[in-house]
Amino acid sequence: MKYSYIKPRKKSAITAEAKLLFTFFGMTLLMLILTYVFLLFKDYSFTRDLKSIEREYVTLDANLAQMKEQIVFIEKENVLAQSVRTKNLVLKDSITNLFDLVPARITLSQAKLDKNSLVLHGVTPNKDVYNFMLQAPLRSIFHRTYSSFYPAENGWLRFVSTNYADEELPLSREEPSIEN
Amino acid sequence: MNFFESLYIKVFVNIIVGRDNTVAYIESCSKKGVINSHEESFDTLRINEKMLSVIKKYTSETPFYYISFLDASSSQGAIPTCAKNRIAYYYDVSDSEYKCQDSKWINYTSKTDLYEVERHYREIGVDFIFSPFSVLAHFFKDKIDGQAAIYVLLQEDFISLAVFKESELLYAQRVGMKSDSAKEELDSVDAAMDMDVDLNLDDSIDLDNVSVTDEMDSLDDFGDIEDLDSLDDIDEFSETQDVEEEFYHEHEEESEQESDDFFNEDYQRFFLVQSAINSFYKDVRYQSEFLENIYIADAVGVTGELKRYFEEEMFMNAYVRRVSLGAEVSALARLEVLA
Repeated sequence: MKYSYIKPRKKSAITAEAKLLFTFFGMTLLMLILTYVFLLFKDYSFTRDLKSIEREYVTLDANLAQMKEQIVFIEKENVLAQSVRTKNLVLKDSITNLFDLVPARITLSQAKLDKNSLVLHGVTPNKDVYNFMLQAPLRSIFHRTYSSFYPAENGWLRFVSTNYADEELPLSREEPSIEN
Repeated sequence: MNFFESLYIKVFVNIIVGRDNTVAYIESCSKKGVINSHEESFDTLRINEKMLSVIKKYTSETPFYYISFLDASSSQGAIPTCAKNRIAYYYDVSDSEYKCQDSKWINYTSKTDLYEVERHYREIGVDFIFSPFSVLAHFFKDKIDGQAAIYVLLQEDFISLAVFKESELLYAQRVGMKSDSAKEELDSVDAAMDMDVDLNLDDSIDLDNVSVTDEMDSLDDFGDIEDLDSLDDIDEFSETQDVEEEFYHEHEEESEQESDDFFNEDYQRFFLVQSAINSFYKDVRYQSEFLENIYIADAVGVTGELKRYFEEEMFMNAYVRRVSLGAEVSALARLEVLA
């Protein structure tokens, strides 16, 4: 202030009415911007969630495929286990049947059971006992049966019985006939 | 100046309170200068509805309006120093607001009067209050840097006078036209003049030395006194004058009365300025300089008599400039705003 005793009042280009108007429009604009920002955020959030869900879906899908594979594998394992179990049962039955086949007068010293063959080592009092009481049932089970004897120290005969079944004739299918 | 401000025009409302009226001088300004101006006088010393409506009509055009007021306080003046330790030598400014001008002199006014102005005009508000001395210095800015001269601002009620020499204030005084002391002084001067007349009469004729016979011859000249009867014709003539002529004579008489009033006021103004000059010469506080020139800013409309008084009575070179106070106050306001 160079000449005046007092300072002038602050002048503003915005009058009271204009201030009210600007405040109103400002608030409206602010609300619109906030709404827009909120919608943008929600859109971003939805997009992010969507991508996350898609990724999760892909992961789950992969997991599902893996699980399916695992299920298939487990099912196969199950089938195999059942098969093994069945085979074991059959084998057990076969062995039981085999030992049931051996008469009390013949003593087995060794038995080798293979997939399609059976090798028996033992002692028999004589050939007739062997031929009638052991070889006959073995021949009904196996396709080919070979026997060899050699004398033991006590006058009995040691024998080696080698039996083969042909491939197309499964052993399991023979078992019921053995049991019968 | 910000962007919004440059879009608007500026309105300067300048209020000058006179003896029995208030003048509102309004200027609308753009960046290029004054667009238009309007001056209106209101028969009131206080703001009234009419004045308010006129001012609001202009101020409503823009938010950038400035209300200026020419200080009319009787407790104002100017001091020829800005040094704070020297101010008290001239005037006690403890109750005054003061403003240093060009680091050379200060003008002061009563704080109470400033508050009163702000309170009185609170409805429209006041942005600037200017001293008449600022107006005077600004009006004669092309002269005050010269040799010592007295500068006078004549208002209806007040006379603001200042002596400047090379832009330095030497003396300032503000006197009221209606001040009782001034009138008393003026009356006392009139009385003294009457006394002089009486004294002259005493010295003029010695009645003891007058011879009756010597003087009787001269009385013969009064022989024609009977001719006065013939003046009846003149009376008759006066009776026959028409109404328009009568009105003209009445108006002429009124004008003569007015000019007598002006004459009296001009003489009072002359007397007050003369007294102030005497004070300037005699007051030891002020640096005395012989004054040859007087510059008068006339805001009243004085007659040529005033100039003649100064020239014939005080042998001074008198220069009278007509001044529009509103325009000058507006110019100061513009300087304040654009500074």
